[in-house]
Amino acid sequence: MKVKRLTELALLTALALILFMIELQIPNPVPIPGIKLGLANVVTVFAVYHYRAGEVFLLVAARILLGSFFSGNMMALLYSMAGGFLCLAGMLGLKHILTDSYIWICSVLGAVLHNIGQITVAGLIAGWGVLFYLPMLLTAGCIAGAFTGVCAQLLVRRFSLRAV
Amino acid sequence: MKKRKKLIITAAAALIFLAGIAGSLWIWLAPHGQTVEILQDDKVLYTIDLTGQEDRIIQVEYEGRTNTVQIQNGRIRVLEADCPDHTCVRMGWLDSAAPIVCLPNHLVIRFTGLHETVDEAL
Repeated sequence: MKVKRLTELALLTALALILFMIELQIPNPVPIPGIKLGLANVVTVFAVYHYRAGEVFLLVAARILLGSFFSGNMMALLYSMAGGFLCLAGMLGLKHILTDSYIWICSVLGAVLHNIGQITVAGLIAGWGVLFYLPMLLTAGCIAGAFTGVCAQLLVRRFSLRAV
Repeated sequence: MKKRKKLIITAAAALIFLAGIAGSLWIWLAPHGQTVEILQDDKVLYTIDLTGQEDRIIQVEYEGRTNTVQIQNGRIRVLEADCPDHTCVRMGWLDSAAPIVCLPNHLVIRFTGLHETVDEAL
């Protein structure tokens, strides 16, 4: 059982990394730092509803670390870490309330928390002038979070149907 | 009870979204002066009045990397940067309260007037 779970988590990490790398190849239409679709978060949201907190934490940590190695952008590591873990903490807290057809809302709030963590680190590094980007980050984050959340919601519900 | 919590959280998410849109619009449309400042690590390196400013190039260095800032026809932008992502270059000319930011090189270019009014408002 332990090995099976480990394998599943490793597969999910690989899947998240593939999505992450594919997204890197798509030119970003919005020239604002920190705005992206975040396809890899489909996997994160799915995992939040399917695995224990510690397991999801490992998955996300591995994804962020390997992702920044692969993309060669070590600067982004700090932002991604701050955003990723804040987002994860929030979603793990909300998942017991936001079930079934509310899963995508959980993803939206996760995205919002991600943006807040991200911009806090950016503010610490480059000065608080970057806070002027928060509204734009939040708007984009809500839209991206809704999209990835709906994808994850479909997955979570199909998997739970199959399990029954 | 649980249903109510769900609805409250959903409403909160909707509020954040609307606040984001409102804030973006405000920043986009807010009036700004013609004076810009170039900051690094929150310290002002240059303060420039863009009206009647001659076209010129300013080099700003950070740990061996350079951002080339261009002033032309009373506008300012980052022409070149040797940071990994070039987001600051793609942001184009500075035309709203949202500053041009180069996170890898800790560089911020912004209009001054608006920040003062915001500071006063706070």
